[in-house]
Amino acid sequence: MLSPHEMSSVIITGPKSVQEDIIKELHALGVLHIVEHSKNELADIGTPLEGASKLSEMLVKIRALIAALGIKKEKIQLELKKDMMDIDSSIRKINDELNGCLEELKKAESQISRNEPLRQELEHLKDISIPLEHLASYKSLACFTGYVKNQNDVAEIKVQLSIITKNFLLLTSAAKKRSFIILFVDTKTRENAELILKKNNFSPVILANLQGLKGTAAQNLKKTEDEIKRLESSKESTIKKIQKLSEQHKDFLLASEALLSVHLEKAEAPLKFAATQSSFLVKGWIPTEELHKSIDKLNKIGKGNIYIQFGSARKKDKVPVKLKNSKIAKPFEFFMDLYSMPNYKEIDPTFFVFLTFPIFFGIMLGDIGYGIVSLAFFWLLKRKMPNAKNFFNILMVASFVTILFGFFFGEFFGFEIYHPAVSREHEMFKLMYIVLGIGAVHVNIGLVVGFINVYKAHGLMMAIYEKAGWIVMELGVAMLALSYFKLISISPFIGAVFLGAAILMIFKGEGVKGIMELPGIFTNILSYVRLMAIGLSSVILAVIINESATEFFHHGGFFVFIGVLILIIGHLINIMLGLLGSFLHSLRLHYVEFFSKFFTGGSKKYQPFGLKEE
Amino acid sequence: MAVDLGTGLIALASGAAIGISAIAAAIAEKEIGVAAVGAMAEKEELFGKGLVLTVIPETIVIFGLVVAILILNLAKGG
Repeated sequence: MLSPHEMSSVIITGPKSVQEDIIKELHALGVLHIVEHSKNELADIGTPLEGASKLSEMLVKIRALIAALGIKKEKIQLELKKDMMDIDSSIRKINDELNGCLEELKKAESQISRNEPLRQELEHLKDISIPLEHLASYKSLACFTGYVKNQNDVAEIKVQLSIITKNFLLLTSAAKKRSFIILFVDTKTRENAELILKKNNFSPVILANLQGLKGTAAQNLKKTEDEIKRLESSKESTIKKIQKLSEQHKDFLLASEALLSVHLEKAEAPLKFAATQSSFLVKGWIPTEELHKSIDKLNKIGKGNIYIQFGSARKKDKVPVKLKNSKIAKPFEFFMDLYSMPNYKEIDPTFFVFLTFPIFFGIMLGDIGYGIVSLAFFWLLKRKMPNAKNFFNILMVASFVTILFGFFFGEFFGFEIYHPAVSREHEMFKLMYIVLGIGAVHVNIGLVVGFINVYKAHGLMMAIYEKAGWIVMELGVAMLALSYFKLISISPFIGAVFLGAAILMIFKGEGVKGIMELPGIFTNILSYVRLMAIGLSSVILAVIINESATEFFHHGGFFVFIGVLILIIGHLINIMLGLLGSFLHSLRLHYVEFFSKFFTGGSKKYQPFGLKEE
Repeated sequence: MAVDLGTGLIALASGAAIGISAIAAAIAEKEIGVAAVGAMAEKEELFGKGLVLTVIPETIVIFGLVVAILILNLAKGG
């Protein structure tokens, strides 16, 4: 419960002829945490099994196909009855089909983007009925195309042009709000014409894509639009084809991805081994309870050709940690994953977290109604997301404790429904003393756990100096304070002696660093005031929501509806804030105030070869 | 509800005690939080440690709260 699974170190060595069989067996057993060998002068790392490069090549292709076809990962129950060659050829076929489709798609898209500017130009010209070939460039004629603001401008241009020359042709069409004009003038009067146009709000449009077109703009426009429509529909049908391809091959691709991943994992295992020309050696850790069963099985496969050495962990070994907890505390291992694995010899704090996390959470949220809502909410989420099962189990336990504390505080959605043991709203100070007491107990449990850890690692004297020193100091300060307030009748001298002794012990245990942190232990305990403070803010918010809603209820009629709305939205927001705050602060009290008293951590998590992580 | 000047000043003082300490904690947590998120972007396992480091300055607000409560107590007693 308080310490992780016992581990045994294992070294397997044998000739390369049995390497593949041993790897297969190890993978099937799924118990060996392999310690990677790094190259040294005695032995190089092993080379992958035959076919590993082919496998990884195929796997890359499959993953690329899964990504290109937009297939979402899911668990499928499809037994692949094909061998590697078949899988390879099917993948090639799918790949070719997909590439064909993508090519078509790209072609259609590029043609659409080429036709689009032409369509826009023709759109400007569509009401002007001169054949497009007349818009070509002339030696003696200058041609202007563009927009002016309105018909008045057109008339004005006409008048001013006729003053300077007779040789011009002005074609106009009224588009929405503005008029499109085409003006042909003699090249000699070009500059004057340009000036006139500029004065009359002319903004030119450059027509660059019309070369080689014959007939009127309207005819060409229709042709181009039809072409674009045809391309769009062919693009759509290609997309549909790709979707069909993805539907059709989804199961096959996902199944072969899973299968090949396993094969590749086996084929690349020798990279973690030590190897000589004709033998291999693999080091690792196996939980002691699985040890003998596994060794028997391996020996059977090795047929007397392999040698297995095993032993228990020595002091300096970096042992991977597999936490051992009862089923009910197991979800709380999530917090250790989030923080750091405890060391092999250290006490595993999961059980303590299991005991106190929900209590702290409950004190902070502490409302029957809020507890019920969050319990239901997390139950629903757990069913939606079975992957995060552990996380939601923790929150469901915490919500349940919230309901219990709700009864203790007598709160139901902020209403005090009966006279409770402690009222959070009215008896702030009483609750503050209670949570400070909880804090003192919690921090001291941490110190006791730390005492045991140090005792196991460095002996009794170190443990007394390093951890018991703090407890003595707390006693000293408590005595001083109580005798100062005349609550107990002992001389303050005794308290001072305790304090002095404690400071000496801490200095011996932790050096100057310890002396600098002397006040730390009291700020740690003071930090538990947050249990009251966060609860208080949540209650006050709930009361305000209730009061403003009742105000609306008194008005009657339509206001009742608004009141109900305020109740629902207000309490939902308050629950969300409360959940977030309670979770983070409860977690923080454990990580900062509690763990700092004993926890070192930093071990690797036990991850056996061949076992998929849940 | 008429409040005399002394009570008003006491209320202001306790408000300032928690408000200013909250601002101080926020500034400190901002700096740490930025660094922690940056570290997490490199290495996701650092979430636990990042969280711990980020919330350390929160104790400042707790001090502010305690002082605020003490000031309010003064009002009751006085």
